[in-house]
Amino acid sequence: MAASLENLETQLEMFIENVRQIRIIVGDFQPQGQNVLNQKIQALVAGLQEIDKLKSQVPEVLIPLEVFDYIDQGRNPQLYTKDCMEKALAKNEEVKGKIDAYRKFKAHLMVELGNVFPHELAKYRAIRGEERPLN
Amino acid sequence: MMMADQFRKVEQYSPKSSPRGARSPVVSRQDSTGTLKTTISLGKNPSIVHSGPFYLMKEPPGESELTGATNLMAHHGLEHSYSKFSGKKVKEQLSSFLPNLPGMIDTPGHQDNSSLRSVIEKPPIGGKELLPLTSVQLAGFRLHPGPLPEQYRYVNQAPLKKHKSKHKNKHKHKAGDTPSQETQVAEIGQDTHEKKHKKRGRHEDDKERKKRKKEKKKRKQKHSPEHPGGLTPSQHSNG
Repeated sequence: MAASLENLETQLEMFIENVRQIRIIVGDFQPQGQNVLNQKIQALVAGLQEIDKLKSQVPEVLIPLEVFDYIDQGRNPQLYTKDCMEKALAKNEEVKGKIDAYRKFKAHLMVELGNVFPHELAKYRAIRGEERPLN
Repeated sequence: MMMADQFRKVEQYSPKSSPRGARSPVVSRQDSTGTLKTTISLGKNPSIVHSGPFYLMKEPPGESELTGATNLMAHHGLEHSYSKFSGKKVKEQLSSFLPNLPGMIDTPGHQDNSSLRSVIEKPPIGGKELLPLTSVQLAGFRLHPGPLPEQYRYVNQAPLKKHKSKHKNKHKHKAGDTPSQETQVAEIGQDTHEKKHKKRGRHEDDKERKKRKKEKKKRKQKHSPEHPGGLTPSQHSNG
């Protein structure tokens, strides 16, 4: 997978370089440059053919659509990864806090219910079994 | 009618404050919780006995090994990636991610119709075979000699390269502009000459200082012959 992606990257870079060279030739066109330009245009077609061939070799890569928004706005897509990881960590911490709070609440509730309804809670414990150990 | 009478009798013994309202638990209906199990015995001494577990005691949710209580970042082995991104400040521009890409890539894509969204929304026409251009088709690319019009000339120049070219321009300015080049060279020459002159002066001063130091050392050695500074390693071995 990595090799095919690298191959595609190389081909794309070569294609971009070819376009850049065409831009230079066209930028200040000299009459003797027509042959070179023609060759470059043919190389452009060949480059597209190569990229098209690689289509089948590149496996399906899932990319979040939001990344495209970052790129379209001229922003570094690594910022998206950074934001995602920070959000995931924050959410993870939030959920862990909730779980811990509920566990504490349940433990406290069991103690209090045991004081008030000892028989019922004994039954409850008999049915439910012992609590899961706290992580 | 018989059934209805029976129910009425039972209802007398049914709890007044039923958690399910005034409905009798005998009447068959779907028990969403599956926990309401009651034995009702009829006859001379009708009674209602709760044989099942507590009311409203639902089945606990299935235990999942992976919950938000665990550090998911560590679980998926992404700590290194996280520290990589959170530790250093990631540069904002797209050009810092793709430094080798020519052109102005930091501008919004919709401005020059180069957005990736547009590729998704309006996919390009594909499926046709790509063939090299024929000589007739290439004739369409025959260009007139000369530079491009001003408005197209500086389109798609990378900002980073501009920054670099500024430095290059400085060099070019020194090397390329002939009138200023001479004066600059002359200035540089004067500078170096002055520096050399200064260096010479310093050099002479150093020589004088060294001489004075040597004289001082000689004097000290005369006064204290045991001083190690006055002896070479060979002298030490001999002595």
